[in-house]
Amino acid sequence: MTAETQRSGSRVSTAASPRPGRTRAIRRALALLVLLAVWETLSRIGWLDPFYVPPPSSVGRVIVDLVTTGQLWPHLGATATAAFAGLLLGVVLGIGLGFAAALSPLVADLLEPVMILLNAIPRVILAPLFVIWLGIGLASKLALATILVTVLIFFAVYNGIKEVDRRLVERIQTLGGGRSVLVREVYVPSVTAWVMGNFKVAVGFAFTGAVVGEFVASSRGLGYLLQFAQSTYNAALTIALILIIMTFVLVLFAVAERLERRLLAWRYL
Amino acid sequence: MLRVRGLTVGYGGEPVIDGVDLDLEAGRFASLIGPSGSGKTSILRVVTSLMQPLHGSVELDLDARDIGFLFQDDALLPWRTVRQNVTLGLKIRDVAFGDADTQADDWLTRLGLEGFGDRYPGQLSGGQRKRVAIAQVLALSPKLLLMDEPFAALDAIVRTRITQDLLDWVEREQLTVLLVTHDLEEAISVSDEVHVLSQGPRATIRARHTIDIPRPRNVLKVRRHPDFGPLLQTLWDELAGEVAEEGIAT
Repeated sequence: MTAETQRSGSRVSTAASPRPGRTRAIRRALALLVLLAVWETLSRIGWLDPFYVPPPSSVGRVIVDLVTTGQLWPHLGATATAAFAGLLLGVVLGIGLGFAAALSPLVADLLEPVMILLNAIPRVILAPLFVIWLGIGLASKLALATILVTVLIFFAVYNGIKEVDRRLVERIQTLGGGRSVLVREVYVPSVTAWVMGNFKVAVGFAFTGAVVGEFVASSRGLGYLLQFAQSTYNAALTIALILIIMTFVLVLFAVAERLERRLLAWRYL
Repeated sequence: MLRVRGLTVGYGGEPVIDGVDLDLEAGRFASLIGPSGSGKTSILRVVTSLMQPLHGSVELDLDARDIGFLFQDDALLPWRTVRQNVTLGLKIRDVAFGDADTQADDWLTRLGLEGFGDRYPGQLSGGQRKRVAIAQVLALSPKLLLMDEPFAALDAIVRTRITQDLLDWVEREQLTVLLVTHDLEEAISVSDEVHVLSQGPRATIRARHTIDIPRPRNVLKVRRHPDFGPLLQTLWDELAGEVAEEGIAT
């Protein structure tokens, strides 16, 4: 018996040289340096008011101070705790509710309108309510992060199960597989794909929830520091905090991406 | 091995096929041909319990586990490797993991896919995926093989090769086969008997032909057999008549 000629395997190894990517990175780094240099110069010669637009060197100094004095860590820790706990809780709740709604029409009838409503509104408007209910501690920002993530994951799982490939289901049935085989071989991998496809967005949502929760009312966290910087008109601290949050989220995105590539290895061939 | 009596199948109460009788003896290769929409696939779906009939009965002299169903598309589990896809049915049947892997690799070798066990379906060509689907079904040693236009999406060369490989196996193992196709030449090349369905809705079996071309057959050379041409003409006329009666085309 003979095999057909194998498809050229272009997805296995792309033999492109690494140069275009590196050139692009160098160009972008140069552009950033030029921008920072111009900004610094304009600030120093007095064309930009440092009160509104402090020079990069001041922002840099603030960041270094935050790190070296250790002031940053408890706040970063507080935000990260709320965000990660919210992410975990949101993913678990979203998967649980999504499965329940997909498998039980009664649950779907009850949950769907609530989730559609929560999906349609900017969910951060719930923040003041959570503060009133749960106080200014961890609970209120955790609740906000959780609800942001839950709604996202709920729809990923619910739609993922509803739109599962019928052909695969029939394949399992004709091979003699029952419900447990279907769940293990078709539903769980399908849902994993849907959830991981939304995971980076979920990480962003979890951080949004935590920071906004802190911004509204709290006693610690990056959102609290931001609120403090804003109320004292400290532009350098505000920009420094924005950069710190951006960096942290980007690092998390990179981790989420690696996780996605590991769990969905079959997609990245 | 398979007795279908008065089978009526439909969607929303409207019969697509109406009162089909079909007998298939052990070791025979039967083809079911008919115009699109004549409910050919529905018959296979009822036999495998993927669908319930409106009326009629399906009697089988074997366990449901002894039926293999080769679908039209080659939907494999994209998140499982080729080997895992082939062992899927074996593991459902509680074959020990190591044994299942060995059997799967034997099948892949037999089908010309040696060394492909650790690939994912997304890395294979259409023909290779079809071979994996065949391995998945044949690894379960079915006694009755149902096929729903399994090679329709393949190009002519790949299609001929895979058909020949499958036919060799069927002849050697004396499998009972029911093939649904709308390719008349394919039906004659591989079958012992051809059943012609009329145009749906309310399609029924319009004609049956026995094909006495000796086995083993070569799917290319069989076309030169003296019976081939006249049979093809007969089937063509019957099907064209069906479509003409519907007033679509001649």
